[in-house]
Amino acid sequence: MSVTAEELAAFADGQLDAAREAEVAALVAADPTLAEEVERHRSLKGMLAGHYAPIAEEPVPDRFAQMLAPKQEADVVSFAEAKERREERRRIPRWGWVAGPALAASLAIAVFLPRGGEEVSPYADTQLAAVLDDTLVSEQSADAETRVLLSFEDENGRYCRAFSGGEGGGIACREDAGWKLEAVGEGSEAASTDYRMAGADDGDILAKAQDMAVGGALDAAGEARAREAGWR
Amino acid sequence: MWFHPFNPWKAKTLSTSFEQDLLALLPRLRRFAAGLAGSPADGDDLCQMSLERALANREKYKPGTRLDSWMYRMMRNIWIDEGRKTTRSRQTFVAEEAGAGVGGDGAQEAAVELSNVDRAMQRLPEDQREAVLLVMVEGYAYKEAAEIVGCPVGTLNSRLVRGRDALMGMLGEAQ
Repeated sequence: MSVTAEELAAFADGQLDAAREAEVAALVAADPTLAEEVERHRSLKGMLAGHYAPIAEEPVPDRFAQMLAPKQEADVVSFAEAKERREERRRIPRWGWVAGPALAASLAIAVFLPRGGEEVSPYADTQLAAVLDDTLVSEQSADAETRVLLSFEDENGRYCRAFSGGEGGGIACREDAGWKLEAVGEGSEAASTDYRMAGADDGDILAKAQDMAVGGALDAAGEARAREAGWR
Repeated sequence: MWFHPFNPWKAKTLSTSFEQDLLALLPRLRRFAAGLAGSPADGDDLCQMSLERALANREKYKPGTRLDSWMYRMMRNIWIDEGRKTTRSRQTFVAEEAGAGVGGDGAQEAAVELSNVDRAMQRLPEDQREAVLLVMVEGYAYKEAAEIVGCPVGTLNSRLVRGRDALMGMLGEAQ
């Protein structure tokens, strides 16, 4: 029985399976030439490991530590970059932050939106206006088909309210003349025979609300104060 | 229904741990890179390229698998690619270096001996050099080293033996 150079190296590195390892160990024990080769292999291994070891013991250079630093620290380092990212976030509609506080207990009310006529008033009709005037997000009940989604202030200082329902939804802002419809979802313009899932375009409405809002959605107390002041 | 909260904190935590794991591997990666590239400075350049590629391709890393194998494989692939671009200049460099260092005085002997190892490693063919480094320096099992390189275990074993024998021939007197 003989042993190849590959097997002898694998033996020296502890890479043989148990059965073959025992056989090779017996051969090495009986043959000083083989034992010397195993020793030379291990000696070279020790020499190479010792040669390269100091690199792994050095501190890691700063440039690598910086590359791998958590991203939030990089934001602080560069104001310009942070600003750019902030603006990028604003362009991407991500409305969870604006809706979060106001949606905790939303509910619905039947609302009839202006539709069908050639000349649609830019203002909410009486019934919708009543809802917008009176309903607080936190007080709605859960079983109706139209909801007030949230309220916010826009850049002109107007109070605006986003609403949604089976007939569509939109955003209305309070002016002296009434609730001006700033955005109206498809549902309100479609023929009344079209069936729409309630809330199907809530995402669009909320994204639009986020574009218009200054400072996020009003919380329950903020809404109550705004209602008390007549939304002006 | 419409409320799908985006959780930036969770995403941030995940990405931070990927970077921290890389940072923990970095001392070993620098050692491997220096061995492949031939000097600590060239090794750090290779290391930088490897980290950049790892960060750009982080979504290709499967969590739960071994990050060290993933990184060693990436680094070795970059080194092979870069080596093909610069083979000619490297050969010229090695030929000049091989003639240097003859007849140093006694005080320099230790330094000369260390650089002999570097020089001998640089003269190994790439496939033997990486096999020697992965097994004898990085301490990988043959099977793990073969997976990093992408060859059968038997092939890795024979490259290791040929590389080892060539090194022993070049470093014979030093031993």
